[in-house]
Amino acid sequence: MNNRRKNRIADKAFQVWGIACTFIGLVLLVIFIGDILIDGLGRLSWDFITALPSRRPESAGIWTAMMGTAWVLVFTTIISFPLGVAAGIYLEEYAKKSHLANLLEINISNLAGVPSIIYGLLGLEIFVRVMNLGPSVLAGSLTLSLLILPIVIVATRESIKAVPGSIKEASFALGATKWQTIRNQVLPASFGGILTGVILALSRAIGETAPLIVIGALAYVPFAPKSPMDEFSVLPIQIFNWVSRPQQGFITNAAAAIIILLLITLVMNGIAVYFRNRWQKKMKW
Amino acid sequence: MIALMELKEEGYKKNDHESRSFKLEASHVDVWYGQFHALKNVSMGMTANHVTALIGPSGCGKSTFLRLFNRMNDYIDEFRMEGEIRLDGFKIYGKKIEVEQLRKDVGMVFQKPNPFPKSIFENVAYGLKIQGITNKKFISEKVETALKQSDLWGEVKDNLKKSALALSGGQQQRVCIARTLAVEPSVILMDEPTSSLDPISTARIEELIFQLKEKYTIVIVTHNMQQAGRVSDNTAFFYLGELVEHGKTKQIFTNPKHERTENYISGRFG
Amino acid sequence: MMTHLEKELSKLKQSILEMMDLAKFQLKKSEEAFINSDFKLAKEITRNEKRMNAMELSIDLDCENILALFQPVATDLRFVISMLKINSDLERIGDYADGIADYVLEMDEAISSDAINATEVGKMFHITLSMLTDISTALNDEDTSLARKVYKKDAELNSLNSMASQTIRKFIKKDPDATRSLLFLFSVIRKLERVGDHIKNIAENAVFYIEAEIMKHKKLQKDPNKKEK
Repeated sequence: MNNRRKNRIADKAFQVWGIACTFIGLVLLVIFIGDILIDGLGRLSWDFITALPSRRPESAGIWTAMMGTAWVLVFTTIISFPLGVAAGIYLEEYAKKSHLANLLEINISNLAGVPSIIYGLLGLEIFVRVMNLGPSVLAGSLTLSLLILPIVIVATRESIKAVPGSIKEASFALGATKWQTIRNQVLPASFGGILTGVILALSRAIGETAPLIVIGALAYVPFAPKSPMDEFSVLPIQIFNWVSRPQQGFITNAAAAIIILLLITLVMNGIAVYFRNRWQKKMKW
Repeated sequence: MIALMELKEEGYKKNDHESRSFKLEASHVDVWYGQFHALKNVSMGMTANHVTALIGPSGCGKSTFLRLFNRMNDYIDEFRMEGEIRLDGFKIYGKKIEVEQLRKDVGMVFQKPNPFPKSIFENVAYGLKIQGITNKKFISEKVETALKQSDLWGEVKDNLKKSALALSGGQQQRVCIARTLAVEPSVILMDEPTSSLDPISTARIEELIFQLKEKYTIVIVTHNMQQAGRVSDNTAFFYLGELVEHGKTKQIFTNPKHERTENYISGRFG
Repeated sequence: MMTHLEKELSKLKQSILEMMDLAKFQLKKSEEAFINSDFKLAKEITRNEKRMNAMELSIDLDCENILALFQPVATDLRFVISMLKINSDLERIGDYADGIADYVLEMDEAISSDAINATEVGKMFHITLSMLTDISTALNDEDTSLARKVYKKDAELNSLNSMASQTIRKFIKKDPDATRSLLFLFSVIRKLERVGDHIKNIAENAVFYIEAEIMKHKKLQKDPNKKEK
């Protein structure tokens, strides 16, 4: 067999192999989702969403968990968005390119990979105990903010880096100060990218279970939070709690709650993709 | 030009009257990027309302020299300069100098057109807005004047809200020129402004330069010697960081004084 | 609105037309000086000759600059080359007018009016002057048919010149004492013939560059898409 045929066969073989791998992943995902849908779709109803948790599975609902998730999401956003973006801007635009700066850059990327439970332990000590915030929405939000801060910072820096230097040059050449250039040219141009990064980071945050358990988010909460200092629960924890119960009804509930959680994640990712597309269209360098 | 009056304190002490007759002047300028000696003892003056072309092979220091006049080299790490650069007789390097003020008087057009990802109007108005000007009528008038001066008004006047990125290369470059003109500088620095454009756009911009010199002093870096011949009144030839020859373009193109100049101009090297 | 190059070319044409006017002026004055033996006028012609030389140098330099700075091609290139050559011819014409003035200064006796009439030197002056007028108008209006008329007149000039040489011989035989002045007359006639030649050259160069323009326009009208080979 000559080389040309060998190459073509190798080419085809790789194609087949790639398709097979993709298929395996897809098939498993379809099985998983299908299973969940079969188990939980029937349980979904407006009652399910608005009901409070209960010892009886038929009357148990996800209202408090959803409200908890919403509160935590809002506060995490309020905390992490300005902090992360500002840090990202500073690191990318103002910090001098030195050994220290390089060290900082590497460490921030590493922080994004630290297991989330570590953040939970950190949050427990600092926010719950030392700052005496107790197992509140605020403490939970602060902890999650710490968790996703590196992601937001990196996303901000990457978006800013993507703005061509020629734009900044042009702005400087017209007599703009550094801050004017950042505010008027760099930030608007990188905003779409930053937004996408933040949304993706947040959609990861709402799926976090371990750190929130550590800081004391409850499994059984009969009320929705009314202030940031209130105790709370979130959807993943509720799911975790139900799954560990023996009654079949609770398993069904868990499946239904998983569907809701998946939907939320899907919608958030969809929004992120939408924004990214709009941003890319605008910035046709 | 208002803040340049503050420069008087600085510049007046060492001012000699001859240098005041030049709009732009360099005296014994040396530039280093770290260890690399980019410009070597360059001295030359440029007259107001004339077009001066800076020519020479790649890496000869002409762009570095151009950027001394609006201090764009400041952003490069390890940039170091010795010597004096003067605008209207006042030194522009010094601790008291406000760089932003300098750049309103000395504008720059770059090699690759770099309009902001905004509308045409916003592009041209940017320079005014960052000065704090908010009067809409005033801004509109300045934008229109600038676009007319850069020979683009007719083509875009019906749709100023269109994204500048949607224009052709030649039009984008004219937006960049309008953007510079809107701030009403007295000097325009051009760093190979047509090298990324097609011949017809190039010709249009060359004609524009010829018209603009009535009101502005223009310094243009070009690697295209024929362009220097068409467009400039005076030409300076740089080679490996040195200023080899500087004189009237007519003289340099018909009877240069140095052999190196002649070799470069006739295409024998570089 | 004219481009930079177009402005330069237009200036060049104006300079040539100016020089042509000056050449015509010199020739006319030389005729007067010769016929009337006017010393003062002859001196004026000599002074003006310096101006003509300066103009020639200046126009040469302008052409050189245009070629160096603009690298013109096609019609523009033919134009500049033509102007360069016409410049040279005009300077020679000026030289000849000056030469005639020199004779006037050297002559110490009047030339016999019979000889002047017989050789028709007055007519020769008239013809060359009208040739200059023709070519000046032709250049200004870019009229090649007018330019071509100059050829016929030059032919007439040539025939007058050849007849004149016989006539002069007769006069010398009749009156050998007047040989010097008659020889002056002969030289003047020869000079006029050479002037005619130079004007003819000018006409040829004019046709050379104008015709290219006309040819291009004609071809464009026929088929604007086809490129001229």
